[in-house]
Amino acid sequence: MAVAAQSAESAEPILRLRGVGRRFGGLRAVDGVDLQIRRGDRRAILGPNGAGKTTLFNVIAGEFPPTDGTIDLFGTDVTHSPARHRAKMGLARTYQQSRVLLGLSVEDNIYLAALGVRTGHTFPFRSRKRDAPLRARAREAAREVGLERRVGAMVSELSHGERRQLSIGMARVAQPQLMMLDEPAAGLSRAERVTLTELLLALPEDVTLLLIEHDMDVALRVANWVTMMHDGRVIVEGTPAEIRANETVHELYLGKRHYGD
Amino acid sequence: MSTVANTPTRSWPPRGAALLGWAVLAAVGVVLLLAPLIFDLFWLSQILTQALWLGIAAVSLTFLYRYGGMTSLAQVAIYGIAGFAMGNVVHTINSEGGLNLGWTPWLGVVFGIVVAVLLGLLFGAIASRSYGIYFLMITLALSLFVFYFFGQVTQLSGFGGIRSVSRPGYLGDPITHPSPLYYTCLGCSVAVYLLLRYMVRTPFGIALQGIRDDPGRMSSLGYHVALHRALAFALGAFVASIAGVLSVWFNTQISPGSINIQQTIAVLIIAVIGGLSRLEGAWIGALAYALIDYYARQHTPTLGLWLNPGRFATIIGVVFLLIVLLSPDGLIGIGTRVWALVTRRGREAEPGTAAAAPTAEATLEKAGTMATGGPPSSGRQEA
Repeated sequence: MAVAAQSAESAEPILRLRGVGRRFGGLRAVDGVDLQIRRGDRRAILGPNGAGKTTLFNVIAGEFPPTDGTIDLFGTDVTHSPARHRAKMGLARTYQQSRVLLGLSVEDNIYLAALGVRTGHTFPFRSRKRDAPLRARAREAAREVGLERRVGAMVSELSHGERRQLSIGMARVAQPQLMMLDEPAAGLSRAERVTLTELLLALPEDVTLLLIEHDMDVALRVANWVTMMHDGRVIVEGTPAEIRANETVHELYLGKRHYGD
Repeated sequence: MSTVANTPTRSWPPRGAALLGWAVLAAVGVVLLLAPLIFDLFWLSQILTQALWLGIAAVSLTFLYRYGGMTSLAQVAIYGIAGFAMGNVVHTINSEGGLNLGWTPWLGVVFGIVVAVLLGLLFGAIASRSYGIYFLMITLALSLFVFYFFGQVTQLSGFGGIRSVSRPGYLGDPITHPSPLYYTCLGCSVAVYLLLRYMVRTPFGIALQGIRDDPGRMSSLGYHVALHRALAFALGAFVASIAGVLSVWFNTQISPGSINIQQTIAVLIIAVIGGLSRLEGAWIGALAYALIDYYARQHTPTLGLWLNPGRFATIIGVVFLLIVLLSPDGLIGIGTRVWALVTRRGREAEPGTAAAAPTAEATLEKAGTMATGGPPSSGRQEA
């Protein structure tokens, strides 16, 4: 499966970062990052806390522009275009804290995610004809992430795990070409992690996945290529097996060297 | 309606309670329809008619807050713009104030509403990138700007206001025959209520609620957040402009003094006293306000320097304080608790769970933290 996903390597990357940096005052949260993601890639970004992973995500998704470098998305320079344009181009993301819409129902949340990449956001009439397909898609997406019994529930009543599922449902329903997940397994129980991993492995092959994950088991099972970040820079890239064996990675995560393993 | 209306109808199996609900609604409807036969002229005009148009002004704020997370202090300024725009172009009997262009009253209504909505859109565009206390301050500044503009540009406001603004003929003299204006205000209130209820379940309205909950998230889902908020603000301006037209008909005049900071605060107080979790709260708050206004002037005892019949502002301030402290969700919140007791829905009627649906509360608390300066949230947390 990993090999199959790698097969599209001749194609132009759908995401290309050149020398991307982001400063916050004196802090270089992201510093000179070059990154190429090809269609169908399953890329995990690893790194200790404060490595700049989430900042990198925010820059790619358009939360704020980078202070250096350029970002090409699907062959277009999007360095300074707002997040909503990138969403419409086919980029969907989740957040470290599940940012779901607490005052609306599960179905409304997914409905809004489906509507967001279409036109008619300000349509001021109720139209069954317009809405029925989107509503059906929303319920279908709820079912795919295991929330079929909760479609009518208010999101504020959902558990942490259910909100994570909802986040992924919202990302999927937009049928993105590039899905960016920021620590999807954080705070999940062991069983929920297994479900999540299966959910991610079941994604269509042409969906490109960019994943920040602290849970090595999830990350290394889902990913076919791993980028390791530290202090805002990319320090190692490689296959999960290479990363597992890499000394620097062990040093960063465990804080000391394991000579003679 | 998503949060508030759904939950009760779905989770209220007792037929008796639903029946009681419809009975109460029917009784209120009958009283409102027959009000001219039940109440005397003063009550009909000064209490009910006034409460209805003030309620429309307040519901424009309740709507923006409840569904858009925007605490706007510009609603009075916007209804003033509608009133002044109309007052200037229609015929005024003594031509001292305003431009007195001699348009027909209905043309004046259309002009007033159009001008107010366009300026509302402009105000919304200015304020739409701000949140919480900053949004509040920008709308307050716009409100003061409008007040001083009309105070100083006397070509448009007359000296001390535009008097005897002509009304559509069917209204007659609202002082001696208040019924036509009363029914007009009632009709407008019902129409505005139904319009807003409808709008919040359209794609526009659902997305607006998403933006209320998390603007950044909505932006990453593909929404143009600032545009959406500006359009919602314009919808609020449309509602407020209707109140502006009705207020001019009710007072037969408009002056800069009728859109000053006190009136701005009054509309905010009305919305909060009534309860921000439901649109109905605006009219309930307006009725309470009109009643307190009238009875405070009549029955307040004189206690040295502390209290006398002229101290309406003190009384309403104390009432405001009490309601905010005792029931952060205003009279609607109190009503919901009483209702829960009557229908034995919340058997123990714990203070934490009684008010409206828990979800509506969670939303309000979220919105309450966003809109600093809005009603203080109680610190209760739904899990």
